[in-house]
Amino acid sequence: MNTLAFLLTQIVNALSQSALLFFLGVGLTLIFGLMRIVNFAHGALYMLGAFVGYSLTKWSGNYWVALAVAPVVVGLLGAAFEFAILRRLYRRDAHAFLMVTFGLALVVGEAVRLTWGPDALQVPPPDLLAGVMFILDEPFPLYRLFLVATGVIVAVAIWQFLERARLGLLIRATSQNADMASALGVDVKRVRSAVFGIGCGLAALGGVLAAPLVTASNGMAATVIIDAFVIVIIGGMGSFLGSLIGALLVGFVQVFGNYYLPDLALAFMYLVMLAILVVRPGGLLGKEA
Amino acid sequence: MSAGLRALLVSVVVVLAAAPLGLPPFAMTLLTEALILGLFAMSLDLMFGYTRLVSFGHAAAYGLGAYACGFMLLHTDMPLLFVVFGAALLTGIVAIGVGWICTLATGVSFSMLTLAFAQLLYAISFKWTSVTGGSDGLAGIPRTPGPFGFDALTSKTGFYYLVLACLVGAFLVCFALVRSPFGAVLRGIRENEAKTIALGYNTRLYKIAVVAVAYALGGLAGALYAPFAGFANTELLFWLLSGQVLIMVIVGGSGTLVGPILGAAFFMLMEHQLSSWTEAWALYFGLIFIAFVLFAPQGIWGVATAWLQRGRNSTRTS
Repeated sequence: MNTLAFLLTQIVNALSQSALLFFLGVGLTLIFGLMRIVNFAHGALYMLGAFVGYSLTKWSGNYWVALAVAPVVVGLLGAAFEFAILRRLYRRDAHAFLMVTFGLALVVGEAVRLTWGPDALQVPPPDLLAGVMFILDEPFPLYRLFLVATGVIVAVAIWQFLERARLGLLIRATSQNADMASALGVDVKRVRSAVFGIGCGLAALGGVLAAPLVTASNGMAATVIIDAFVIVIIGGMGSFLGSLIGALLVGFVQVFGNYYLPDLALAFMYLVMLAILVVRPGGLLGKEA
Repeated sequence: MSAGLRALLVSVVVVLAAAPLGLPPFAMTLLTEALILGLFAMSLDLMFGYTRLVSFGHAAAYGLGAYACGFMLLHTDMPLLFVVFGAALLTGIVAIGVGWICTLATGVSFSMLTLAFAQLLYAISFKWTSVTGGSDGLAGIPRTPGPFGFDALTSKTGFYYLVLACLVGAFLVCFALVRSPFGAVLRGIRENEAKTIALGYNTRLYKIAVVAVAYALGGLAGALYAPFAGFANTELLFWLLSGQVLIMVIVGGSGTLVGPILGAAFFMLMEHQLSSWTEAWALYFGLIFIAFVLFAPQGIWGVATAWLQRGRNSTRTS
């Protein structure tokens, strides 16, 4: 295999990995930016997305239906949780959220195990994306290219949404100063529910998209939540652009690290994070925390 | 500490000391583990409850203590007693470096730095196979007798007394610490760090010191766990444990020292009882946490003391 082709396939690999990580990280960072909550349940919701996606694919026989519906289902569940429980806690200490979302992570994790059983479930990619394409004569799974494309589309969509849509404007205003936004007539409570729902929906989108690649399994929550934390911390908690940069950095470190330094890849990711935090305690684009 | 409270705690210790006489071996195993976890949770309370340093990576202390102790017991002939305290001391020394770096940041960034350290150790424990045994961990950790043929600690009951003594000793150390001028500065940092700095205290040094003490005691708990369980594995360094111990502190009642011990015991009992009743124990576990946050934010110890207080007041008025 020639070097250029190898490098290219690795880069696309890393980009597809980054795309999956981005869906997780951006939801986490939006939620943190708005509510100052570290959502421990984010990984569990990602997993829930994958399993709901599995059932929807099976039921409808169409992966695209799952891709469209599963994030909405999980997003609505997230919004309902915010409405029922988190809403009571905004005047309380930050550690109340830690505990509540930790509890939610346990409940969701167990509910998934009870509903879908302990085994990993295969989600076949749609026929359209099942094949390979050739990059400089090297075969490459089409599905990963699809992930890269989806990542770009979603990133642009979120960016445009935050910049142009009315709800995006309200989200930015509430993140900057919730009291002032409230005084100006913004219904802060509804903005919070919406953002929590959107963040959970994005995690679920990541889960549905990851399922054909890694199968839907009970273990997937515990591993991805830390990756998501790392991304958000590197980029700066609450920063949209930061989560994008963080996802790219982590994606590339994971893919290239696994190839060149398989023994050190995992440690390397945390070292990068430590180094960044020591230089910039708030993350690359975050405010000084 | 009021006289009544002191009497209560002393009687609890007496009951615990008498426990091996009446409890079956199986219950003793549970109780030993609960006390070890109690020590672990109490050590975090120094940081979380008294200084508001929210560590997301306290498993680092536990795991480091456990691995250090396990390694030394497996590869040297040093007696258990020395090794346990040596491992705790080592953890405390490492923590000075950890604390020095982590206290560069405050708030959520501090939490995330502690998490990064713990995960770094977790990653290392997987790969440094010659020392840590990789994903298998260290197994068959002995309880080496000595010195001078002293072998009372090698039995299960003897080891239980070592754990109990460590917990009581650590509690007395922590209690003296939080009552001392040092502890007053810690509470100052918790309530308002800027003001404490304005009063002329170098708060960062205080924070590094409390991190070192908390890690040393957390390391002591880990160092007791390794010879108790006979193994040390990567799960002892995993973030899930860091989350769980934080929950124990909060459920028990943070900033009280006693509360986190109760929280740890409650956590263990619930896990044990629920898992024997139902396969879906984690589901109920999660619901219990959520209920605690909503209905008993001051934790078990907070509820208990408020209840005792109310009882006393009502007898006084009647």
